[in-house]
Amino acid sequence: MGGLIKVEHRIIRNKQVISVKMEMDISGVSRTRVSICPAAEIKNTLKPEAERPRCASTPCSPIRGTVAGYQILHMDSNYLVGFTTGEELLKLAHQWSEVPPEKGSVSEAVTSPTKSSALQAGDLGVHRSARLFKGKSRYFQPYDIPAANGRRRRRMPSSSDTFLRSLAHGEPGRSLRAPLPLCLLKGTGAQSKSLDYLNLDRISIKESSDTEVLQVQLQHLTLRGERVFTRNKT
Amino acid sequence: MSYSCTSRGNSQDPSSAKEPAADNPARDAGGDADSGGRDGPRRTAAMRVKKGCNSTDVGVPMTTEEDLLASAVVSPEDVLGLQRITQDYLCSPDENIYKIDFTRFKIRDIETSTVLFEITKPPTDKSGEKRDIDPNAGRFVRYQFTPAFLRLRQVGATVEFTVGDLPIENFRMIERHYFREKLLKSFDFEFGFCMPSSKNTCEHIYEFPPLSEDVIREMILHPYETQSDSFYFVDNKLVMHNKADYSYNGGT
Repeated sequence: MGGLIKVEHRIIRNKQVISVKMEMDISGVSRTRVSICPAAEIKNTLKPEAERPRCASTPCSPIRGTVAGYQILHMDSNYLVGFTTGEELLKLAHQWSEVPPEKGSVSEAVTSPTKSSALQAGDLGVHRSARLFKGKSRYFQPYDIPAANGRRRRRMPSSSDTFLRSLAHGEPGRSLRAPLPLCLLKGTGAQSKSLDYLNLDRISIKESSDTEVLQVQLQHLTLRGERVFTRNKT
Repeated sequence: MSYSCTSRGNSQDPSSAKEPAADNPARDAGGDADSGGRDGPRRTAAMRVKKGCNSTDVGVPMTTEEDLLASAVVSPEDVLGLQRITQDYLCSPDENIYKIDFTRFKIRDIETSTVLFEITKPPTDKSGEKRDIDPNAGRFVRYQFTPAFLRLRQVGATVEFTVGDLPIENFRMIERHYFREKLLKSFDFEFGFCMPSSKNTCEHIYEFPPLSEDVIREMILHPYETQSDSFYFVDNKLVMHNKADYSYNGGT
């Protein structure tokens, strides 16, 4: 089977970047001459992509924010509305176990992982949440692929449209209250060295899958961990 | 110095061994964003691209998580035999002796080149390295997709990563996606050799498996029951294990 591989090597020498591009087939045989571009012609693909101009018909603007040390450069809300890390989930679980949720605050919390930095950056948070709420109606027509380059992808027929609209009346905050993955709640023999202090092996996770029970257990685990770290710091 | 590549590795859904299209350039594929960051000049790596093997799960001995946890070394064949998502990690963060660190991650729709998501991790300072967090917390991510995401056919995932002072021979990633206890698809990609102290970029092409409307409906209805394990190997030994779960209801 044929195939083409495009390879780009970037060499940093004397603080200058030289790009070496080559094409080769699957077997590694070079098909074209190697081209070497001087630093001035290097397109730094490592830089964040420039934001495309937006207009009224453009889908929701990319969502930016920070999550647990990560910086989100772009998030197309037509396809992705949330991203979070295990660290953030543990923090949220700890917060939930302390403060009962208020009605109407669930939706805010859904966007909190990416919203926090927006509030820090300015008053974009409310605007962003509003855009998400406005965008919700789009999700009831999930098979309308947003237009790109002026072309709208042909919608794939589905018999699930009615069902999907029912998501609008679905359990609010269900995803928010989804149980934490077990990998965050229990340790293993492979990593017991770092988690021994939590005595995870003594906790039977399989006893109950109830979210509240797990979160209460997590709260106790977290508090226990905090005491250990406090002790280590003294 | 750094090298970058785009390649399409080998991926199989459980029902058939799907080979990449002959007229498309071979590309590798990658996995989840991870934590870390490095400073300082990097060297180029004379990349050696190896076509993904056409091995399938058929004929691979079935393995269980319990067996692998008891094993001293986990090999690629071991994880290819897993029939479900693991509940625990199969290696500790300390086993990443090569200090592989993912610093940037981007996904895009191949057909429209629409960038769907891009994330980067600034280099952490010394004081930030010893954070009081669960070591597993940095190995797990959660995505909230919309139903439209399930209609995509090909997604390109660009991964940027740095490596430590040790050369990396035969760097390979196997990523397995499950919905509940059903294997949706297994992706198998080889990065090849990575030079020590290098920064590398690679784009991976994920070809979505064909999904019935019933399965799509269930995946949307049951958020975070779609999960993935990303296993990273050096010299056929497991060195990293990342996890992710997914919802497709747009956060509703």
